[in-house]
Amino acid sequence: MKKRGNFLFIEKQDDVYTISLTPELQDDIGTVGFVEFSTGDTIQAEEPILNLEASKTVLEINTPLTGKVVERNEAAVKEPSLLNSAKPEENWIVKLTDVDEAAFNKLEEA
Amino acid sequence: MMNQEARLDYLNHYLLEENPNDEALHSQKGASSLDEKIALFRGLCNIREPEPVTEQFLEIQDAFLTEWNQERKITSLKDLEEVKPQLYIFQGDITSLAVSGIVNAANSELLGCLLPNHNCIDNIIHTHAGVQLRLECNRIMEAQGRKEPVGKAKITNAYNLPADYVVHTVGPYIDERGVTPLKEELLGSSYRSCLQIADEHGLESIAFCCISTGEFNFPNERAAEIAVQTVQAYLNATKSNLKVVFNVFKDIDFEIYRNILVGKE
Repeated sequence: MKKRGNFLFIEKQDDVYTISLTPELQDDIGTVGFVEFSTGDTIQAEEPILNLEASKTVLEINTPLTGKVVERNEAAVKEPSLLNSAKPEENWIVKLTDVDEAAFNKLEEA
Repeated sequence: MMNQEARLDYLNHYLLEENPNDEALHSQKGASSLDEKIALFRGLCNIREPEPVTEQFLEIQDAFLTEWNQERKITSLKDLEEVKPQLYIFQGDITSLAVSGIVNAANSELLGCLLPNHNCIDNIIHTHAGVQLRLECNRIMEAQGRKEPVGKAKITNAYNLPADYVVHTVGPYIDERGVTPLKEELLGSSYRSCLQIADEHGLESIAFCCISTGEFNFPNERAAEIAVQTVQAYLNATKSNLKVVFNVFKDIDFEIYRNILVGKE
């Protein structure tokens, strides 16, 4: 199941929620040249998960959901333009677990 | 005591000596009238790297800026009409406002405008505040270690300005694709972040410039709607006592804010 919030997609597969960039967000920021993940295992909704510098803007990306960060797209640190990819396996940011399913369900349909 | 001209001569000499080999700069040192000397001083400050500066320079700069800033009519909250509870409109130069905080429309470098004598608000605020403002911004940015994101806010001292603080925010830039939902959200976020940081620092009043209009191309009318809606929603939700001035410079913005806040005449 796939939802959207904060100009991001959130895809739920079993208990893992993968956050990725929407095409609209990709269009608005341009080519990504630098990314820095926020540290910390658990994040609260609206806290930053990623800071990026792109050709059109400098942006802090905030998570729409509270959860535990189990994986970050570390490949994007070395190759930031992966976040401009149309492929979900390349343009994702973080994977979360321990997410409140009710909060997820309240998000807008993607 | 030095007069203004003597102070400028000292300051310009000091700033030129920092770049002894820059011929373009030195070609301007023939400035003779007071206005030419002020323009040279301003341009030299605008391009100045955030390097340490001597106590004597600061003393003379502060004396010059204090007198220069006070030559203009200084406006405080009591001179303005409260058009809606806690809300005010002021048309004029934001650096002449004696409120707790003024908002600077910055860019993501957050070091102030680097173009000599460029007539943008970032340039005017840094010029009238003094070189200390760029030094403080530089310390903040070095501590942060990366550029300033759009829609956030930083707060600094206002140095020689009549205000107590400067709140710096980077608004969204509108390119040929026009306004998008993200850009609207980010403009609101700039206003919210400024209000939050003002409340965290106990400011009593804050004056907003028209963030993202002008150089950043946000349409004036839509920007004003977002500004007023965001400020009113924030004040209602937080019960903040902040008094908020919408500072406009152009007549078009004055008309737009008047229409939104007071209604059409």
